[in-house]
Amino acid sequence: MHEDQSTTDVIQGTLDMLILKALSLEPMHGFGIARRIEQTSRGVFKVNPGSLLTAFQRLERAALIDAEWRQSDKGRRAKYYRLTRAGRQQLEVETTNWTRRASAVARLLKAEG
Amino acid sequence: MSLWRQLTRGLSVLTNRTAADRELDDEVRHFHEEAADAHVARGLSPAEAARAARMEIGSATVLRERVRDYGWENTVGTLLADARFAARMLLKTPVFTVILVFVISLGSGAVTTIFSGMNALVLRPLPGVSDVDGLISLRPARTDGTVLEQGSYDYYRYLRDRAGTVDIAAWGRVSLTITAGGEGTAAYGNMVSANYFDLLRVRPALGRFFAPDEDRIPGGHPVLVVSHAFWNSRLGGLATAIGQRVLVNGTGFTIIGVAPEGFEGIYTGLRADAWVPLMMQPQLRPRSNLTTASWLWLFGRVRDGATMEASRQELSALAVARAADQAQTFPPGTAPTVRVAALSGLPNGEGRILLGFMSVLLAAAGLVLLIAGVNVAAILSARYSARRRELAVRAALGAGRSRLLRQLLTEVLALFLLGALGGFVIAHLATAALERLPLPSNVPVSLELSPDIRVLAFAIGVSLLAGLAFGLGPALQAARKDVAPRLRDDSAGAGQRRTLMSRTLIVGQLALSLVLLVAAGLFIRALTHGARIDPGFEVAGVTTAAIEPEAWGYEDAKARRFYATLRERLSGLPGVLTVSYTGRLPLMMGSSPDTITAGDAEVGVHTASIDVDYFAALRLPVLQGRAFLRTDDERAAPVAVVNETLARKLWPEGAVGRTFRFRDAQTTIVGVARDAKYATLDETRPAFVYFPLAQQWQPNQVLLVRITGDPALFAAAIQGAMLAIDPTLPRPRVNTLRQATGIVLLPQRAAAIVTGALGAVGLLLAAVGLYGIMAFTAGRRRREIGIRMALGAGRSELLRMMVGEGLRLAGSGILFGLVFAAGASRLIAGWLFNVNPLDAATYLAMSSVFVLVALIATYLPARRAVKADPLAALRVE
Repeated sequence: MHEDQSTTDVIQGTLDMLILKALSLEPMHGFGIARRIEQTSRGVFKVNPGSLLTAFQRLERAALIDAEWRQSDKGRRAKYYRLTRAGRQQLEVETTNWTRRASAVARLLKAEG
Repeated sequence: MSLWRQLTRGLSVLTNRTAADRELDDEVRHFHEEAADAHVARGLSPAEAARAARMEIGSATVLRERVRDYGWENTVGTLLADARFAARMLLKTPVFTVILVFVISLGSGAVTTIFSGMNALVLRPLPGVSDVDGLISLRPARTDGTVLEQGSYDYYRYLRDRAGTVDIAAWGRVSLTITAGGEGTAAYGNMVSANYFDLLRVRPALGRFFAPDEDRIPGGHPVLVVSHAFWNSRLGGLATAIGQRVLVNGTGFTIIGVAPEGFEGIYTGLRADAWVPLMMQPQLRPRSNLTTASWLWLFGRVRDGATMEASRQELSALAVARAADQAQTFPPGTAPTVRVAALSGLPNGEGRILLGFMSVLLAAAGLVLLIAGVNVAAILSARYSARRRELAVRAALGAGRSRLLRQLLTEVLALFLLGALGGFVIAHLATAALERLPLPSNVPVSLELSPDIRVLAFAIGVSLLAGLAFGLGPALQAARKDVAPRLRDDSAGAGQRRTLMSRTLIVGQLALSLVLLVAAGLFIRALTHGARIDPGFEVAGVTTAAIEPEAWGYEDAKARRFYATLRERLSGLPGVLTVSYTGRLPLMMGSSPDTITAGDAEVGVHTASIDVDYFAALRLPVLQGRAFLRTDDERAAPVAVVNETLARKLWPEGAVGRTFRFRDAQTTIVGVARDAKYATLDETRPAFVYFPLAQQWQPNQVLLVRITGDPALFAAAIQGAMLAIDPTLPRPRVNTLRQATGIVLLPQRAAAIVTGALGAVGLLLAAVGLYGIMAFTAGRRRREIGIRMALGAGRSELLRMMVGEGLRLAGSGILFGLVFAAGASRLIAGWLFNVNPLDAATYLAMSSVFVLVALIATYLPARRAVKADPLAALRVE
């Protein structure tokens, strides 16, 4: 419970970017991605499985990721997602955009403060 | 790329939903396992870990639903699912479905049939002409509002040579006899200016159309273009027809072209079989003057860069200039002008009248659709209230209001779509039947009423609109969100409001269909009344045939000889009492008014040229003096017979022997004939003058033969006698006088048929509706009936109670209907031949029909209800 209070849902509109980022290192299955996002954000972001799976559909349709079924290291059949070339480009674009916007927001908040 | 993916993935999901679902399930399961593993790693027992994972992830079904919602295919999928579900629901209750579709089909069929007629007559711009932009009709007119419709060749030439904004063509009608291979065929011809086809941008199916120099010299180029239909039926559809020599009204012509299929001149319904250059007029219509007689219709195509309005101004200015050139004078306030309108397939004035008439019919048909829609709404809302548990359960299971509404509307629209198709089929059958109705006239009417793609689109559009209009209300009500009360709701007392609404709808239906049926009844009364009106002569026992020597190329002397010979031959046949001729058939003598001068007075009269024995053939008594004699010929002094009205008006002390001037001839009255009907049945005694045909000669006449026995059987004898005189003649059209004059009652007949058919459909629908609501309430009240019976109520008592209830409903419908009908009948009073629009017998008869139908419609379901086993009824629900 205590842990739950500190976690928060992923900021609207950033989930796609976070998934792409998570996949930029290596192909991963859904739970792996969710855990990667939670861990890397040090538990700040908690990913809702429904949102995640919907996002997979969306990204796959947009040809930013590809999927294939294969054995996981635990020997289970899992659906692995992999970044496509278009996905890698998209990630770069979104990262740049996000950084620019985030720093702008940070400056604004600082100025207001 | 990604668009392609959207498409292919979407399609693969659509076509293989289960595979997609299984994959998703697998993924979710894997998610579960991994999540549980993670919890186990943190020290939870496997069972606890599994539960924790489930709690984190939530219901797998909800998850799947959420993911499934993504993608365009889901909208389609939902639609398909809705459609499938709708189909299942409709198939589950086939009787209900069939009744609804039938009801909708009737309403949509009524509207679609009338629209087909409208489409064919008024809207389909010009059959066979594809490029109609810029085509305009030109009508000579006066600024005081008179429209002359037609102009002379001189008028045409004046405008054509001077107009800069528009190219102008002209055409007139002519009766033709086309003789190919020794066999004559009566044909309807158009005499056209050489640019006629060019302006219409019609291309020949075969051969060519007229060259400009073929319409320069009077009588110079005997060339002929035939219609596709004529080419097929009379010339064998052979390519060798081009160049073939034929006789047209006795003159040798060469066929140069075949018009494209479907093009039969520019006036819808007035079929043209052949076209000849205007300049052939001296050969084909020798008696009329090409340059001065106003017999040409004008149309034009506005040139590029000009507008219709610019053309109108230019042409009107030209018409004024021409009048000035010719020193024509007009009364103050009136000047010549030209009316311009987009060229439609109808003679101009008639277009608007017909459109008005058809709109009235469409409104009547719309009434039927309204009744049908109301009916459907009533049945649907009854149906939904029976289904309200199902709907409530689905709402409770999480179906959103919009989802439910969409589902219900899909069902409704599916019903109405089926109804539209049914309506289209009905329209198809009805128009086919209408086309086969024989028209009592000699006009070359060939109507192509059959519905086309536009009509289909109309049927579907109107039906879907009606579906939305009449389906949305019940569906909205059914998809109301208040689940709990409806789940609790029990049949007794529920849906009071809905029943009240259905009852109101039924009353409205009955009232509307009674209005239609009263109108039909009045028209039928007018029809029988009209048929009983004494036209002043004996219609029965007379055979007629139109004889057109002008179209056979006969000159006057030959025509006169033909008439004499034919009379001789026919008089000798057994059963023939009298043979005569007339310029025009009685009851079709609507001529433009003429004037005679008696003393100082100019008197407006109508006239007809008739042959000796005309009065005897029609058994129209000559009251004073004598009828015409063979000696009243062109060499004798001009004589006339006047009717009673004229005699009484001008010469009350005796008309015989008096004189008047007619077209500069001093004319002596030799007899007074009894008043008769001349043009219409409801005319009020017009002044009328008969002249002997020999003195007012006209080549085209109508044969009248009075015989003993059935005149219909005499047709072959007349045809035989004519062909015996000249075997090259086209087969004459022979009618009985009754058939030939039947056209005077055509409006009443048409109106009676249409309102009668619509009213009957309306009544049928209302009866179905009444039956439906009675059956429905009977079903809802089974328990009440059961209780009443258990308490000792007799079957007949219950039956009386229920039938009484239905009849009260019908009674108020009839009452409203009578009031509406009394108001509406005033609108048709002008067509009723003095039949009182409030004719009590009609109202009573139609009301009785309604009471009878209502009795049947309420008795049947009521009987079924009281026959049910009371115990079974109590056990229901």
